[in-house]
This record gives sequence, C-alpha cells and structure tokens, in this order.
Amino acid sequence: MISQIGSLALSISGGLILSNFFFLFYYAIKKDKTFLNVSERGLIAVCFCVILATLCLLNELLISNFNLQYVSQYTSYETPLFFKVTALWAGQAGSLLFWTFIMSIYSLIYIHVTLKKMPILKYSSYIILSFIFGFFLLLSNFIANPFQPVSSDIIVQNGNGLNPLLQNVTMAIHPPTLYLGFIGTTILFVMALSGLISKSLNFEWIQSIRRWSLIVWTFLSGGIILGGYWAYNELGWGGYWAWDPVENSSLMPWLILTAFIHSSMIQEKRGMLKSWNILLAASTFLLVILGTFITRSGIVSSVHSFTAENLGPLFLAFLSSLILFTGYWFVKRFDTLKSDNKIDSFTSREGGFLYNNLILLLMCFIVLWGTLFPILSEAWNGEKIYVGATYFNQLNVPIGLVLLFLMGVGPLLSWKTTSRHTLLSNFKIPMLMSFFSGVIYSIFFGPFQLYPLVTCMGIAFTITSIMNEFRKSYKKSKSNSKSIPSAIVSMLFSNRHKNGGYIVHIGITLLFVGFIGRAFEVEKEFNLSPGEEIYFANYIFKLNSIKSEARDNHYAFISDIDVIDQSNNLLTSLRPEKRIYFYWNPDPEQRQPHSELDIYSTMRKDIYSIFSAYDAEKNQGYFKIMINPLVNWVWVGGIVMVLGSLFSFWPSKRRNHGII
Amino acid sequence: MNKIYTSLILVFTLIVVWTIYLTNVENDTNSLTVRYYTIEELSTKEASITKVKVGGLIKPDSIIINDTDQLEVSFYVYQGSDSLKVYYYGIRPDLFKDNAEVVVAGAFDDNLIIATELQTKCASRYEGDLKNIEKI
Repeated sequence: MISQIGSLALSISGGLILSNFFFLFYYAIKKDKTFLNVSERGLIAVCFCVILATLCLLNELLISNFNLQYVSQYTSYETPLFFKVTALWAGQAGSLLFWTFIMSIYSLIYIHVTLKKMPILKYSSYIILSFIFGFFLLLSNFIANPFQPVSSDIIVQNGNGLNPLLQNVTMAIHPPTLYLGFIGTTILFVMALSGLISKSLNFEWIQSIRRWSLIVWTFLSGGIILGGYWAYNELGWGGYWAWDPVENSSLMPWLILTAFIHSSMIQEKRGMLKSWNILLAASTFLLVILGTFITRSGIVSSVHSFTAENLGPLFLAFLSSLILFTGYWFVKRFDTLKSDNKIDSFTSREGGFLYNNLILLLMCFIVLWGTLFPILSEAWNGEKIYVGATYFNQLNVPIGLVLLFLMGVGPLLSWKTTSRHTLLSNFKIPMLMSFFSGVIYSIFFGPFQLYPLVTCMGIAFTITSIMNEFRKSYKKSKSNSKSIPSAIVSMLFSNRHKNGGYIVHIGITLLFVGFIGRAFEVEKEFNLSPGEEIYFANYIFKLNSIKSEARDNHYAFISDIDVIDQSNNLLTSLRPEKRIYFYWNPDPEQRQPHSELDIYSTMRKDIYSIFSAYDAEKNQGYFKIMINPLVNWVWVGGIVMVLGSLFSFWPSKRRNHGII
Repeated sequence: MNKIYTSLILVFTLIVVWTIYLTNVENDTNSLTVRYYTIEELSTKEASITKVKVGGLIKPDSIIINDTDQLEVSFYVYQGSDSLKVYYYGIRPDLFKDNAEVVVAGAFDDNLIIATELQTKCASRYEGDLKNIEKI
C-alpha cells in the first residue's frame, strides 16, 4: 500500500512538472501573474510529492518489503536498522530519488527565501527548475523506478543485504553530505542563469548567490573529506585519495566553486568580472552533471561506478542541453556583463584573486583532462589510454604549492594597488618565518626532498601572514574591550565573513601538513604464525594469537599484534580482522570476505594494519603494515575548513536583514 | 585587452598545452600513461609490452595460490572466448574470486601479464540479479 502511494506520488510529480511548462508558457504570452503563481504552487507541490515518495521508500526499507526489487536488492532481515535507512542511497534507483529529494528541499528554501526577496528571478528560475526536475523525475519514473516490484512469479524470502563496505557510520553520512554539496550547485546554476536572463545581476543578487555558494561549498568540502576518511578507514589501501574518476568528479566542482567564491568577491567589491562569475557558477553545476555522467555511464572504469542500468546517454543529453542553454543566454546577454571598473595592478587584492582563479582553473583542467583522457584518446585514435596517479600528482602538486603560498600572499595585498613600501613591509615577516622554517626543516628532518621542504615553507608563510591579519584586527578591537578573550571574540565577530575565510585558509594549510606525510609513507607485507615477530620501520610487530568468532552477521578471524617500539615499550596492540559476511550461505561464491583494519593513530603518524588472508592449515596470517605520517592533520584541517566556512555564513542577528 | 588578463591567459594556455603534450608522449616511454588493451588484442600480440592495463573476468577454477606463500597467485582473465594468464604477488582485494571483474596493470611478456596492480570491481552480489530467491 505504502509503496503504491510512493509510486503514485512520483507519477503525480512528473505530471505536475509537465503542466508547469504550460503554465509558464501561458505566463510568457499573457503576462498574467496568476499563471506564474500557479506554476510556483505546482513546483512546491512537486517538491512535496518527491519528499512523500522518499518517505514511502524509506518506510518500505524499514519494514523490509521484499516485494520491491530495490528493497530486496539492498537490504535483508539481518541488515541493522541504521543501515536500512542508509540503503536509501546505496543503489542507483534509490540514490536518484534521494537526489531529487534533496533538490526539493533546496528548491523550497530557494522559492521561499531567495525568490521572495528577488521576485524578478521567478519566471526564469521556474523554467530552469522545472526542466531539471523534469529530467530527474523522468529517470525515477521510467528508467530507474525504486518502486519497481519484483517479477510476479517469485517470492523473495530474504533480501541481498547491504555491502559490508557500506555498513559503516562514515559511509552513512558521506553520501548525503556530498549530495547536499552536489545538488546545492543546482541553485547556483538556477540563480546564475535566471539573473542573467532577467538582467538583474545587481548587488543583492551577488550577495545572495555568494551566501548560497558558501553553503554549498561547506557541504561539498565536508563530503569530500568524509569520503577520504571512509576510504582510509575502510578500504584498506592506506590512502585517502586515489585520483579515481569518481573522486575527481567531486573535486572538479569543488575547485570551480572555490574559484567562484573568490572571484565573486571582486564583483561584490568592485563590480568586475560579471561574465566570468556567471560562467563559474554555471560550470559548477555542469561539472556535477558531467561527474554524474562519468559515474553512471561506466564509460571510465572506476571502483565506484554503478553498473545496473546505463544512464550515460541520458545524462549526456541532459548535460548538452544545459551547456547549449547556458551558452545561448551568455552570448545573448553578453553586453549586460560589462565591468564597472578595471584591474590596474598586478600587486592588488583583485590581482591576487585572479591568480587564485588561474591556479584553481588549471587544477580543474588537469583533473578533467586526466579523467576524460581514456575517452578522448580512444575517440582520437582508438587507443584507450589511462593516466595514473603519477600524472595527477606530477602536475597538481607544484601548482597546489603555488596556491599554498598564494593563500599567504592574498591578505598582504590591498585593493586596487599595493604600494612598494607596503608590499615590502607586509612581506618581510612571513618571508623570514618561511625561510627559518625551511632551515629548521632541513636540519632536523633530512634527507632533502624538495616538495616537503617547499610545503613546509609555504605553510609557515601562509600561517604567519594570516596570523598577522588577526593581530592587526585584534589591535583594533582591543582598544574597545577590556579583557583579552573578549577582545579576541569581538575581533573574530567583527568581520565574520573575512575571518571565516581566514579560518578556512588555516584549515587548508593544515591539510598541506597532512599531504607532506605522503612523501614519507612506508609499507610491508609479510606472514606470521602466532608467537612469531617481525622488525619493520623501527618497530617490532609480534603476533600473539589468531582467534575466531561467529558474530551477528559475519564470522571473524581476529588477530592480536603487539607493537613494540625501540625502547622496548609496548606501544599498542593492533587487532585487524578478517571477516566473512554471509558465511552461512552454502554457496561459497556468495560469501563475502572483508578485511577490517586496525589503525593506531596519533598526530605524528598512523600505524595501519590489514589482515589480508588466513591459512587455516598452517595457522598463519598474512598482514600488511603501513606507516603513514601526519594523516590526522588532514582530518583536522578538514574540520577547521568546514567550521571556518560555517562561521563565515552562519546567520547572525545583525545580519537578519541580509539576504540568502 | 588588459595586460594582467593577457598574461594570465598566456600562463593558462602554456600549462594546458604542456599538460596535453605530456599525456601524448608515446606510451612505451611515458611514465604518466598506460594503454588499455582488450584481452583479444593482447592474445594475438607476440612482442612484449612494458605497460599494459587489461580488464576482464576471472576464469572459474583458474586461481592457483602458492602453498608456501599465499601472496603469490596466478589466474586467467577472460572476455568472451579469449583469455590470458596473469601472475601477481601481493595482497589481493577481498572481492577477488571466480568470475569477479578485475582490472590488472603490469608488463606483458610471452602471453603472460606480470601484474603490479590488481583491482576488483564491486561484487555482482549487490548490483546484479537476485540469487537467493525461490521460484514458486
């Protein structure tokens, strides 16, 4: 019954979208506001129908209604309640509905908050939103319907269950967070295009789209970091980023969105780069759709790709129509995009933002080129050529380092132009700090490696420069307040936008601290029987025992490895496990082995252990140990980044009159 | 055109051209790229190739694990009627089993792939047909 309601809600929303186009068409001809209002109601109704459908699917997952194909494919009676909820986005059909669900929530906010303040954007916004909703509802209704029943001649006794790799708390929050970022770009696209079409790229518009972009950026950053955290803690290859096409697909919109956040500041302050900002805001969404196309078409081999139904051609058609639409209006309205001002100097704040845009765009191009290279090379001469991690690192690392320094340079530059005198006096201290940190690094952390050294200098430079900014505004606020803490608080809150931005930059420099560690990773694979030990990377690894245990939904072999350091102290005991899910299944093909890692984690280094195989006859375990320095800094940096961003856009009382 | 924009566009173009150039250096000498071959293509090749990437399914019952060192394995990958022998030393992914979809990368010599990289794709169990269902 509930599933019929869900299915009906999906059909109705599809019908409503269709009728919406008629209403909008009539409005265009008759200019009668009633039609515009009706289409607004229609869109709101669509949103609520989609939300209803999602709740229905959730209900079916929770009550294990295996009459639905989707429910039987991704859950079983044994699936814990929590993961029955997360199964909502585990498969193709569910994740598409979930996508539309989030889009509905965003659209409701957009309609009720943003469009209320800027009604001029309504008409074009509704057209674009209806088109995008139409596409996703088409998919959910006809191609990947989550309410599809299993064929009538079979009864499902128990469902397949959720992939053990996905039965993990991080995996439960990573996809929704990333989705909130991905789908939020829809609003940026709608706002950019409707602002362009209705010729209302005014100050109110730029402030509002900036606010939206920060919200989206926060989710996108959080989602990416969580994805890395999940990969590191669950997948067992000891890293958090592999330049996989799907990871790249999330990085590209992030890079362009970051560029937009910076360059739109020039528009806000000086009325320049209007056309450029429109392109960036629109491209963010286009890149998200491109990424979805890559993920769901199977065109590039990736560990993440969905294989069930091929949605590639549909997404390609959708993407092309969006690009054509953007291109058409961009050309048509180009004369309204003239700058109010000119950039005068290389050493100005505007210049700094432009360099930032250059770097981010280059990185995006490199990632895009590398991701699409197999397709492009095959189209070119029939040879499918892949580029590996070496390509991405070799090109992106040096460019990324320039970006690191640039984060420190930016605050030292003034708007319009920086005089030579200010330039020298501003650069003096950060340069000195950078130099000293380089010297200290070389003395204490040899042998010489170029990138870690430069990264270390860059971190010192940028942190000093940002701290100097904080010190300056602290001085100002100190004269007004009595105690030091209240002065610091009032300093931070005096310009949340700017200070939040600096906090984000500190977060990113912390990420770079983590990246340095990658240069010093070591690993070893070996086998041990209980009682045996091995010496590696200044530690003794001693295997005490391998026990076995039947648990709720799997069977586990549990190892117990003592890690003893140089001074013969027991540092920790690692207990990586080898698990067999579905071990009760008589068909060995259906059993699912899974390596559960154990990580000893400190700010200095992680000792990462994997129990990869167990030889029962010889009572021997096969292990892999990795020493990964500084990884925790990546997560800390990620948290600081997200907090900084939240700080900068979180509404305050003073800002209530502002716009979203 | 403003001087600052011109120089930015110039830098951008230069690095883009450089990137495109780097990826287009011949496969054999390029450390950044690896060519993907189908099993059919490779099974007719005589010469050895330093870097290949191949995708296919693991031939059922072809996995041979060394008794004394379980990290050492050989197996056949197939696609249609063509198959190729693969040798690999190292930890295998959890999903490595008969009929699993794998991508291997390594050197090709004398009809054998000496793989340095072995990846499996998601298990069919979660994406494919329902297997543990009973017909009425």
